[in-house]
Amino acid sequence: MAEPASALAHEKPHAAAHAAHDEGFVKKYLLSTDHKIIAMQYLFTGMLMALIGGYFAYGFRMQLAFPGAHVPGYGVVSPAQYLMLVTNHGTIMIFWVAMPVLIAAFGNYLIPLMIGCDDMVFPRLNRLSYQLFLLSALILIASFFVPNGAFSGAWTAYPPLSANAAYNLTPWGASLWLIAVALEFVAFLLGGINFVTTVMNSRAPGMTAMRIPMVVWMIVIASILFMASVGPLVAGAVLLLFDQLLHTHIYDPAHGGDPLLWQHLFWFFGHPEVYVVLLPAMGIVAEVITVFSRKKLFAYKTILYTAIATGVISFFVWAHHQFVAGIDPRMANIFTVTTLIISVPIAEMIFVYLATLVGGSIRFTTPMLWGLGFIFAFLIGGVTGIFLGSSGSDIYFHDTYFVVAHFHYTFFPIAFIGSFAGITYWFPKMFGRMMNETLGKIHFWGTIIPVNLIFLPLFMAGLAGDHRRIYSYMNFPDSARPMLQNLRITATVALIVLLAFQLVFLYNFITSLFRGRKADVNPWRANTLEWTAASPPPHGNFVEMPAVYRGPYEYSAPGRDDDFWPQNIPA
Amino acid sequence: MSTAHSEPEHANAQLHAHPNYIQIWGILVALLVVSVCGPMLGIKAVTLITAFGIALVKAYLVAKNFMHLNIERSYIVFLLVTAVGLMVLMFGGVAGDVMDHQGRNWRNLAAQEEVNRALAGVAGESGAEQKGSTPGPAQPVAGAEENFKIVCSPCHGEKGDGKGAAAVALTPKPANFTDPEFWQTRDKAHIEKVITLGGAAVGKSPLMAPFGSRFSAAEISALADYLMRLKQ
Amino acid sequence: MQKPIATLRSATGIPTGRLAIWWVIASEIVIFGGLLASYIMHRIGHPEWGGYAAHTNTVAGAFNTLVLLSSSLSAVLAHQAAEGGDGPKAARLLRLTVLGGAIFLCVKGLEWTHEIREGFTLTANGFWTFYYTAAGLHGLHVLAGMIILLFVAADAQRNRELQRVELIGIYWHFVDIVWIFLFPLLYIAK
Repeated sequence: MAEPASALAHEKPHAAAHAAHDEGFVKKYLLSTDHKIIAMQYLFTGMLMALIGGYFAYGFRMQLAFPGAHVPGYGVVSPAQYLMLVTNHGTIMIFWVAMPVLIAAFGNYLIPLMIGCDDMVFPRLNRLSYQLFLLSALILIASFFVPNGAFSGAWTAYPPLSANAAYNLTPWGASLWLIAVALEFVAFLLGGINFVTTVMNSRAPGMTAMRIPMVVWMIVIASILFMASVGPLVAGAVLLLFDQLLHTHIYDPAHGGDPLLWQHLFWFFGHPEVYVVLLPAMGIVAEVITVFSRKKLFAYKTILYTAIATGVISFFVWAHHQFVAGIDPRMANIFTVTTLIISVPIAEMIFVYLATLVGGSIRFTTPMLWGLGFIFAFLIGGVTGIFLGSSGSDIYFHDTYFVVAHFHYTFFPIAFIGSFAGITYWFPKMFGRMMNETLGKIHFWGTIIPVNLIFLPLFMAGLAGDHRRIYSYMNFPDSARPMLQNLRITATVALIVLLAFQLVFLYNFITSLFRGRKADVNPWRANTLEWTAASPPPHGNFVEMPAVYRGPYEYSAPGRDDDFWPQNIPA
Repeated sequence: MSTAHSEPEHANAQLHAHPNYIQIWGILVALLVVSVCGPMLGIKAVTLITAFGIALVKAYLVAKNFMHLNIERSYIVFLLVTAVGLMVLMFGGVAGDVMDHQGRNWRNLAAQEEVNRALAGVAGESGAEQKGSTPGPAQPVAGAEENFKIVCSPCHGEKGDGKGAAAVALTPKPANFTDPEFWQTRDKAHIEKVITLGGAAVGKSPLMAPFGSRFSAAEISALADYLMRLKQ
Repeated sequence: MQKPIATLRSATGIPTGRLAIWWVIASEIVIFGGLLASYIMHRIGHPEWGGYAAHTNTVAGAFNTLVLLSSSLSAVLAHQAAEGGDGPKAARLLRLTVLGGAIFLCVKGLEWTHEIREGFTLTANGFWTFYYTAAGLHGLHVLAGMIILLFVAADAQRNRELQRVELIGIYWHFVDIVWIFLFPLLYIAK
């Protein structure tokens, strides 16, 4: 292969030209086309929405623990409000926290830096993506203030409940919710095109496919999964909107429509969606565990092909969400088999991560703790999915708290543990300062222990038959037993502890922004290209565009003095 | 072309021989004519082949020659074919539930009735305009007693005494319509307002949800009358 | 705005713009595919929809198909001109494409006006809901394409960004292909 550095000869970085600009605040921070600024916009929006989603969880968990009581900081939770809280908690956490932070924030920030170019290929389209996303968030928030309140038909929005205001009692909320979600989809479709095109085309000379850092691969695969699966739901959402606003009857059985069509359209997207958020989180963990065990990723190609295989299989499992919805039992058979099959590649990835750790020189930094915490918690989540993927046992478990605990044991690691791993790891690069390690560790333990104390009791409650989306169990003699109520109270108290410890993170984050110890260019002694740019990188990222000479995980290479070997150093 | 960065763009420009596009257009138009005429014969197989088969051929010609997929990288073709394949997959997984109106252990009665009703309507016509299906009731126009029983009694009790099954979980307790004292401070207009806008609209508990989108004004008026008759 | 270095690189050998357009097309296939697959399922399950479809205007539909095919021709001829470096000719041909789109939308407008007057509205029954939704979504894409075509034509007139002529052409051909399938699905299968 031709000497990579020579391929850079004709490229002229713009960094110097832009440094001469004296851009005002609005142009520099609000209307920026710089991928790093846009990433920050997504990150902060996602963090803010997480506060709202967490507050909603506080509201409904307090109601469940102390039915009918006045909730401090909220008021009395009525049945209608309970459903609104539950619906919007789920919607916000998936679409306005997990996706923007894991994909849009980390993707935008890391991709150009890690592949060694100066920005995304379409910076203005990138800005438009964020603006559409922000609009969608504002529309959703607006839905909380309209007459009759926000949408209360569950985040899955099944018709006829979601289609008919006579049933859901939230005519304004239902439509605003749907418009917000559809707009968010469009924003991510546009963003995805940017990501995939940039990674395919704009890599530094010498960065072949197998030298791309795993997190970048994962974000690309996730973007492709998203783009391939969301289309039918966009179409379905338009039809649902027409049912709501114009009184068409696509999903109305009384007029020959079919509610099951919505379910299929929703889950055809909904299932790949969980891998859309899982893969970036696993990518972040891959980066973190290699750097902090000073060891190569155990089997790069295996993980890559497994991730692709997971993505492909994810299109064949969707109806496991509908086992008891009245689908043909023969379909249920097929989907059981495919669902059990998909657990294999994911388990394999976890094993490869464990193999990466074995024999490594482990540094228990805060990011590493989060990475290890992810593996531990996600393992529990994944294993419990087996019970739900088998249609026979799912007949019992469907719509119980067993499902809720399963998806929180997967989603919480994905959306929060993965994000904390990424934030604590890349904070020095993003902001040029180090976060406080002690506070970071306090935050870690104050999160990982309570989260288990929330959801382990909920597994037990689900096994005992507690159904989801129930305002109060006091009406059900079998569920009103003290033992079960104790489980619910335990979960709620643990949630409050969890929320309290997030204040430690916020304090750490904000004070480190302004008073953290100044960070070096490469404080973690990592290999990937972003650690060769300044902390934080200037507009244009690199003073000299880098070329790449090896893969990203050459740690502890034999024969070298240093235990790391940056990608851009010539052989 | 912008001058400063023309070099890499030139390297990437795909200079290729152009087929006779007008000739291809001519073929497309001819196929269009066939696809319009074919169905006029009224034979179903011919219609399917000419209308849809030709559509496939036309799409192929446009994709190959106008979009230059014949000289594009093969993985692009693969990508597009995969997208189509996913739609076939989706169709396969969903059609069994949506396209069919009965399966091994189930029947979609509403859809079957809709089909029968509409076909009977079409058969009974002779040239008159067929607009659409007879509109079924969007919501049952039920009497006040039935509405109360279905919607209100879970909280307010079957007798309206505030002791419905759900009342166990509610604080404050639902209104007791049998209590004469309750009616001393409330009139029909007040009751209609509470039903329509919810308890919070009159300074009472938000546990009483707004049902203005569930009932029509006439139904609410009838409900209010019904409630007043519960007074003892 | 000066293009970033990222935009100019091409590790795959395909220019960035064209690569991006193919991804756009792929995601649009899934959107329209989802809608049409849902329509086909309902259509097969509801034989009475054939009767409703009899009230669509096949002549207008066929004419519109001819219009779109012809506009695709002018779009690809514009691409040929742009590759030859003749920006103004490409611009003329692109504007001809826009004209085709405009005629298409006008005919559709007349069609819909007539149908709505007859009482075949979006809410009349399931067939008409899908009819207006599918054709409407397609029409929005035609309109969006026309706007972008005009911008690209304006640049091409001044011999700038000529590579974009091919890109908007690819999008336009896709819009044409969607209509190639919509026509038999909505108009012919009676």
